[in-house]
Amino acid sequence: MSAIVRELSYAQAIQEALAIAMEDDERVFLMGEDIGVYGGAFQVTGDLVHRFGEDRVMDTPISELGGAGVAVGAALTGMRPVFELQFSDFSTLAMEQIVNQAAKLRFMLGGSVSVPLVIRMPTGSGTGAAAQHSQSLEAWFAHIPGLKVIEPTTPYDAKGMLLAAIADPDPVIMFEHKLLYKSKGPVPAGRYAVSLDKAQVRREGRDVTIVASGIMCSRALDAAATLAEEGVEAEVIDPRSLRPLDMATIVQSVKKTSRLLCVYEGVKTLGIGAEISAAIAESEAFAYLDAPILRLGGAESPIPYSPILEKAAVPQTPDIVAAARRLARGQV
Amino acid sequence: MAVEVILPRVDMDMETGKINHWFVAEGEAVVKGMPLFEIETDKAAMEIEAPADGILRGVSVKIGETLPVGAVVGWICARDEIFEAPVPGAVAEKPPAPPQAAPEALQSSGAGANGDLRATPKARRWAREQAIDLSSISGTGPDGRIQAKDVAPNRAGLTSPPPPRGALHGEWLARGAGTPIVFVHGFGADLNGWRPLHGYLSAGRGHFALDLPGHGQSDLMGPATLEAFVESVEATLVAEGVTSAHIVGHSLGGAVAAAYAAARPVRVRSLTLLAPAGLGPEFNGAFATGFLAAQGDASLAAWLRQLAVDEAALGAAMVKATLARRAERPHVEAQTKIAASLFPDGAQAFSVRTQLASYGGPLRVVFGLEDRILPAAQTRGLPGAVALHLLPNIGHMPHFEARAVTAEIIEDNVAAGDRRAAARSG
Repeated sequence: MSAIVRELSYAQAIQEALAIAMEDDERVFLMGEDIGVYGGAFQVTGDLVHRFGEDRVMDTPISELGGAGVAVGAALTGMRPVFELQFSDFSTLAMEQIVNQAAKLRFMLGGSVSVPLVIRMPTGSGTGAAAQHSQSLEAWFAHIPGLKVIEPTTPYDAKGMLLAAIADPDPVIMFEHKLLYKSKGPVPAGRYAVSLDKAQVRREGRDVTIVASGIMCSRALDAAATLAEEGVEAEVIDPRSLRPLDMATIVQSVKKTSRLLCVYEGVKTLGIGAEISAAIAESEAFAYLDAPILRLGGAESPIPYSPILEKAAVPQTPDIVAAARRLARGQV
Repeated sequence: MAVEVILPRVDMDMETGKINHWFVAEGEAVVKGMPLFEIETDKAAMEIEAPADGILRGVSVKIGETLPVGAVVGWICARDEIFEAPVPGAVAEKPPAPPQAAPEALQSSGAGANGDLRATPKARRWAREQAIDLSSISGTGPDGRIQAKDVAPNRAGLTSPPPPRGALHGEWLARGAGTPIVFVHGFGADLNGWRPLHGYLSAGRGHFALDLPGHGQSDLMGPATLEAFVESVEATLVAEGVTSAHIVGHSLGGAVAAAYAAARPVRVRSLTLLAPAGLGPEFNGAFATGFLAAQGDASLAAWLRQLAVDEAALGAAMVKATLARRAERPHVEAQTKIAASLFPDGAQAFSVRTQLASYGGPLRVVFGLEDRILPAAQTRGLPGAVALHLLPNIGHMPHFEARAVTAEIIEDNVAAGDRRAAARSG
């Protein structure tokens, strides 16, 4: 039996996952600022409030810490909350509940409880929203044992990974790049799950491995198409999950291509790509490297408001083409 | 215009060499890529391939005579060309120097004298595996850093690392960009059988041909089953860094290609099968038996003539080259084993119809209507989406007998495969 496959946007795919999860399981409910009649800051929850009512699609006060606390408490007592933070930047306010409570309680209570909580965080720059609404903070959360951190790239993965995250017994942080919400792709109807710990090879190639997730993965794929015209075959790996990180897939690829380029929107220093680079240097792939590992990350600067500077502050497709080309040609 | 045949430089420090043996005599036809003569250097004997199609002319050097690298040893002319003997012993322009630099250049390169040598981890590993002293190599990377390619400039050559277990011998007939075409030959043949067709395909793309187990320079290591052959093909492509490919298979190689495509559909962008085996039980069992039993050149040549409608299409030179190769490395035992396993008692014991139905990519089958080895009628009942090209007046060797048409069919299918892959990734 094959499910009907439609073209859905990333936002529609997420909304569909939320609806399926709520239909299938009474314990699932949504919380967040303006997710009810307003439909969410990025219109992800849309009209779900009319379908499921205000008890299951709850507008919360403008208190991220309060909302997160309620969500953690509800999860602890057997509910399956999905909490939307309007912007991932506002996670700063909810950090205590996420890092000190949600991530720790299973361990501190000897495994007698778990926190089946999903927090959705719109992330990234490109919308002209300036320094306090444009950051990429994935690495903060990926640094915390006890959390799972995912960053789907395609509508297909967004739906499948969110359904898997809601079914997961532990807290999962889902980063959704704002520029991806309108991107479209095939999404099967009905329930399916995409695993929370497997990277995906999005394009195969022999000359250089590019690891990039979210919007950076789609830019890497554009870059790979340009590179192919020059005879450089880039392999593009989408980690999909940043914690746990599927290093086995990346190691295998680097052993094949001998060159690694990590692309991420978060600030370059101490970012996800720094972790991947170090893990490769420690792995069996080290002896296969034929060039230094390169990172393309965000500038060491708050995201500027000026559109030109905002663009310049994070890797763009031509930057990826140039870096991969230099690597493949042995110019690094 | 006549093409010079020169004594090539086949290893780094070769200055002179001598010709041991000509595979083709003066005035005979040659096909680009077929073995032309064998040379001997201080280190090894090696077959040199014809640089062009045509007639061999102007062979003046003596067998065993020591010649400088670059010496002109003959010419290949067009059939109707009037050949004027050139000045004997003329030395052609020297071939470009090999990538290895002269010792004095090392002092200024990245490879310093004491321990400050700069080399990538991969270059170091290759050097270690092949017991090469890195300080004898000059690096072409930034600031003279030694890269893997400096250690082994020719991966297919003597200095490449040992292939992983299970990998077959293969050769890049052409290097290029984009998804390469991989060629899988038929029973009793080897990768050299693709050379005539290769010249008809447009340039720019990589062409990789492999020797099936028990053929050419690949030994039969494992069981003689289709599944084992598929695994060997996979190991070979992995070793070559081929992640996706267009596959062209002939006869038994067509069956191997079909089984491979069904097992690894993502890696096979398009599949073109020339007179593929595995479509039905009937098979000219006498051919395999006779081919394997043939002791002399005459009997073997007689069996080879069964392959084509017009034996001229195979070319006398081709038959001769096959005989020479077979004399050198007969594989009779291995091929007898393969025949006993895959087509016992004159019947094809395997079928690839299911595999053909399950492979979803662009698939074309080319069959000669006068095929005397496998009957063209077996193409009845292929899945509807398969494009079938039935060639009149052609036998079992479309890639020899109908080169231009076969090349065109392959090119079309390759383009379809690329379009489909691009549509999917976009």
